This record gives sequence, structure tokens and C-alpha cells, in this order.
Amino acid sequence: MQWMTHPFVRTFFRFVYTILVVAAFTLVLWIFRDYLSNQVIALLFMLPVLVSTRLWGLAPGILSALLSFLTFNYFFTIPYFTLMVHQTQDFLSLIVFLIISVVVSQLLGQDQESIAAATAREREATRLYELSIALAGLMNDQDILQILAEKICETFYAEKVAVDLHDGLEAVTFGCLPKKIPLDKNRKPDQVFPLSTVRGQLGSVNLWRAGGRFSKSEERLLNTFTSQGALAIERARLIKTENRATVLEESDELKTSLLNSVSHELRSPLATIKASISSLRSGMVDWDSEARQELMTGIEEETDHLNQLVGNLLDMSRIETGALNPQRKWNSLSEIVGGVLKRMHQDVQKHRIVVDIPAEIPPVPVDYIQMQQVFTNLISNSVKYAPPETEIFITARLQNDQMLLVQVSNEGPHVTEGDLGRIFDKFYRVTAAEKITGTGLGLSVCKGIIEAHGGKIWAENAPGRFIFNFTLPVTWEGMYPQIPEEA
Amino acid sequence: MQPHILVIDDEPQIQRALRTILTARQFKVSVASRGNEGLTMAAAQPPDVIILDLSLPDMDGFAVCEQLRQWTQAPIIVLSVRDSERDKVHALDKGADDYLTKPFGIEELLARVRVALKHSAQAMGTPHTIINAGPIMIDLPGHIVTREGVEIKLTATEFKLLAYLAANADRVLTHQAILTHVWGSADADHTEYLRVYVGQLRKKLEDNPDQSKYLLTEPGVGYRFLTND
Repeated sequence: MQWMTHPFVRTFFRFVYTILVVAAFTLVLWIFRDYLSNQVIALLFMLPVLVSTRLWGLAPGILSALLSFLTFNYFFTIPYFTLMVHQTQDFLSLIVFLIISVVVSQLLGQDQESIAAATAREREATRLYELSIALAGLMNDQDILQILAEKICETFYAEKVAVDLHDGLEAVTFGCLPKKIPLDKNRKPDQVFPLSTVRGQLGSVNLWRAGGRFSKSEERLLNTFTSQGALAIERARLIKTENRATVLEESDELKTSLLNSVSHELRSPLATIKASISSLRSGMVDWDSEARQELMTGIEEETDHLNQLVGNLLDMSRIETGALNPQRKWNSLSEIVGGVLKRMHQDVQKHRIVVDIPAEIPPVPVDYIQMQQVFTNLISNSVKYAPPETEIFITARLQNDQMLLVQVSNEGPHVTEGDLGRIFDKFYRVTAAEKITGTGLGLSVCKGIIEAHGGKIWAENAPGRFIFNFTLPVTWEGMYPQIPEEA
Repeated sequence: MQPHILVIDDEPQIQRALRTILTARQFKVSVASRGNEGLTMAAAQPPDVIILDLSLPDMDGFAVCEQLRQWTQAPIIVLSVRDSERDKVHALDKGADDYLTKPFGIEELLARVRVALKHSAQAMGTPHTIINAGPIMIDLPGHIVTREGVEIKLTATEFKLLAYLAANADRVLTHQAILTHVWGSADADHTEYLRVYVGQLRKKLEDNPDQSKYLLTEPGVGYRFLTND
């Protein structure tokens, strides 16, 4: 029923309605004519004039005034059924009708105009509100452009909207309605609006619309839309910059505390190495003496420590930058632990290591190298704090069908409840730095790695023991390891 | 005749250390600091073993590996600070025979060099059919495995796996290579098969399966069957 809403058709119908109203009114008055005096009838004829003007505007109002005058004249004044006018009084009624219709229509027109303006403004406000709600919280230029294009389409009945930014990003083009006829690629946009803020123009909005020109109010609204969009983009960029600044600041702080902590850690093994080497070179120890052997062992151990430290530093920086992506594979936990103990055999020789990983523990989806680092750090921590000749236990149990619980426990001293949660923080150390070497990095690296694997890590005091617990998922993307049946 | 080792590494300290140590161990050593130089030297005077760094000033170590493999089968041992499994597997895929991360123990490097030399010698002659590793004896054609003279029962898959590792004794084999050989290329990603079967083999062959001496894990890369001879 598209044609119903065409302006010409609507105007035409208004006149038809006017004629119908006057006709109906005349009919009613005709029926009751015996009970009514002419003056009253003339008075009553003001009603259709009022009604028509009120409902359909000035032109139908004037038409109804003329019609009312004519029908009044034709049906109700002597001589009946003629349009002859005998009395100047009757002319007067015509003039009154006309004046009423003009005055009323003017009054109503003003009224309607202001109502229409208010409605339009309300609509604009709603649209703007919707736009700003949709834009709120968007952090990505592309998303903002997309929303802006969509909203412009909805609000302005455009056929196509293309929004582009001057700095690089691909233009967001949005075909608005499910068009049967594809839009001509070479057609120039009907209207171009700048996308700008106080800092300058960011880009532009290109619109294609069949109706062509935009009215003043539409233009005003579109300008508000584009400035909203531009502001959203600017805000998103500012937030991004601010985040970057925060990250930089944090990593700066990290670097400072890292340097403080690490310089001590790096220097002490270097001191050992340097001292050993220089005494070996000086010729003060024989080639075959036990002292020489001791010095050499020291050098080797200290280089291993340095290597482990560098590994932790690298992991720490990967954790900090979010670049610690575990390369998961199905791995055997006992293999990992075995490998670590083999590498650390010099560090652990003063303690008794008890490994209890039952054969039924299935392969777990973990990054071998990273888990190696976790065990190395937990074991070296245990070795550092637990007195010599005590036992270090490494156990693994299935907690349920989803999680594996691994414990590394030692007979070392307890940690106060307040410190239990904090020992996994960066650079947090329970004992004074001079007493026991360490960067305060090892446990925080463990935490980063375990959490990247989807597990949890915590420490607890148990009677006579101190326990590190961590969990690991036994499924990988919801799948259990597949083991082929022996043929 | 002294075996000839070509070292391609741009760090002067490593060059000096390797030259000193290897010369002392009766190897003939030549050193190249750049990839192209290394390729030229390898062509001019074919080495018995190549020790290759992955980070070179002029070209990528993987590319050097690939180019060397186009015309020489000389064993390549990669020596690098890069310790991610991806780099290791990539180097092995490009034709490297072994991979050692810096810092490394010199005995470890020498052991790898000996293995490499043995294999290049073996490639010329007939392959071994009976492999000994400590108390373990593997008779490849006879499908027999014994430990201290006592026969050990292995399932078909277990034997296939052990035989493949033993036939390539002392060399690192990637997970993918082993899985492809034993289970077929469709199962090349199922490292869990390997974990389970290697675990079973260790239980049957090793004194202490938790600290195996013969079936060694190469972290993140694969396995190596060590014969210690």
C-alpha cells in the first residue's frame, strides 16, 4: 500500500474527507430542520468547518467553509434549493465561516507545527541516545565505524553508507536495506560529511540515498551523529594510549625491581666463577688436587644457576607481556620430573628425593619446557629452604576426572599464613635477601605458567612439612588422551 | 686421519672455546663466522661433522641447514641459544641430525660428535642388526630383546617402536618421525601414544623407569636411544 502514503494521494483524501463530513452534517441537519431555527443551523455549520480545519489543515478548512455556506444556502435558506442569496445576513455567515476556518487553521497549524517539531526533536534525541549507548564502551575503531554506519542507515533511510578514516583503516561500507537492485559501484555519494573533532578531521562519512537532498534538521542530526562517532573514535584512541602508558609504567617499575634483585643474583655466581677461574690460572692449585676438582664443580654449578636464572627472567618477561603461550602436547609427568631430577642431580644431592607418580596417571596436555621450569623452580626452592638430609616428596594424584593434583613438599620451615598467598608474587621473599639466594622470581614464574595451563597453584603448611600444590587439567579442549589398543 | 669438524658460529668466544677444545681432542677444526662463508668452506673441504649456530649475521641457520642438505649428507649438529621446541623440531626437519642448546656441557657435545661420526661411517657400510646398550641386546632381524641374557616379551607395537629407536641409536628422533614410522602418518600428532608406549618400554627395560638411562627424552622434541658405546 505504498501509494497510500504518497503526499498527493494524502492531500486528495483530505479533500474527500472534508466533502464527506460536510455532506454528512448537512444530512443530519436536514433531518432535524423542523426543530431548528436558521440561526441555530448557521451556528451549527461552524462545526464541520472547525472539524475539517482541525483534522486536515487550512485548505480543507476553506473548502468546508465554502461548502457549508453553499449547502446552508441551498438547503436551509429561502428560496430552498437555489443558491440565490437574498439577505446580506447570509453573506455574513459565509464570511464568518471563512474567518473561523482561517483563524482556527492558523492556530492549529502553529500548534501542530510545534508538536511536529517537538516530536522530531524527541526522535532525534532518542536516535542520538541510542547511538551514544551503542558507541559507549567500544574500543575498536572498526567496531565504532560499523555501529555509526548502521545507525546512520537506520535513521536516515540511506541506501548505503561508507565511513572511512584518513589514517589507514579500511573503509566500513554498509549496505542498509536488502536492496533488490545492487547499487552502482561508480555512483558518487549523494552527501559527504566530515568526521572531525577539535583536533582535526579524522575521516568522512559518505551517504547514498534515493531521496537526494537532506533537510536542515536531518543535516543537523547527521552532523551530531558524525561528531559523536568522531568523539567515540578519539576516546577509544585516548584510552588505548593511556593503557599503553600504564603498561609502560608498570614494566618500568618491574625493570627497576628486577635490576635490583637480579644484579645481586647475577653477581654472586659470577663472583664464584671469577674467583675459581683466577685461582686455577694462578697455578696455586695443582692440576690433580682435590681443590681443583672442587673449584671446577663450583664453576659448573654456578653456570647452571645463571642459566636457570636467565630462563626465569625470560619466562617472567613472557608472562608480563602475555606472550607465554603453552605449546601443549600430551606429556608424561614422570618423564618431565625424571628429566628435571637428572638435570638437577648436583643441586639435589644433599636431599633425598621421593617421587610417587603412579603409572595410572595418564599423559597430561602441557608444555614440556614450561613444566620443566615449574618443577625446577619448586624443587630448587625446596632445596634452598629445607635442611639437608631431609626428604623432598613429589607426588601426583588424580583429583577428579578433570584435574590432576601435583604436590612438591619438603620438610622445611613453615611460612606464616599471611605470607602463604604472597610468596607467588613477583620479588616477594620471605627471608631477608642476604640469607638465602634467590630473585623472588621462581615461584611467580610457576604461578604464571600453571595459570597459563588452566591450573591453580598454592602453598600450605602441613604437620612437619611445607607443601606446594598445583593442579593441571587432564583434558585438552575437552578431550582425553587416546591410547591405541594393541593389535 | 683426523676427523674434520666445521664450526659455523659468529660468536668469537664460542669459536675460540670450540677450536681449543676440539683441537685438543684431536679433531681438525675450521671455523666460519657467516653462513655463506660456511657453505663455501663446506664445499671446498668437505667436513665430517658440521656444528651450526642458528643465529648468523648474514643468513638464517635453518637456511644454511637446508642448503647443505642439497648436496651433502655430512652430519649437522645445531648449537643454539634458542630452546623452544619449535626451533628444535624445525632444525631437525630441515635436515639437522642433532640439537644442543647453549649453554652446553662439552662432554655432551663430544658425545654427540662421536655419534654423528659413527653414523656417517655406518651409512657407508652395512647397518648394524644387533644393538647393545648396557645389559640390553636387541636383535633386529630376529625380533628378540634380552636384558642380561633374559628374553623380554614385547608387544608388536612396543617392538616396532624400540626397533626404530635402536636402528637410529644415539640420534634424536622427533615425535613426528617416530609416530609416523610406528603408527602411520595419520597418527603423527598423537604424542600421547608415545608417552604411554615409551613408559611401558622403560618399565620393561630400565632399572629405574623414572630415571631412564637408555630411552632418553629430548624435551619437547622427541626421543633418543642411548647405547653408550
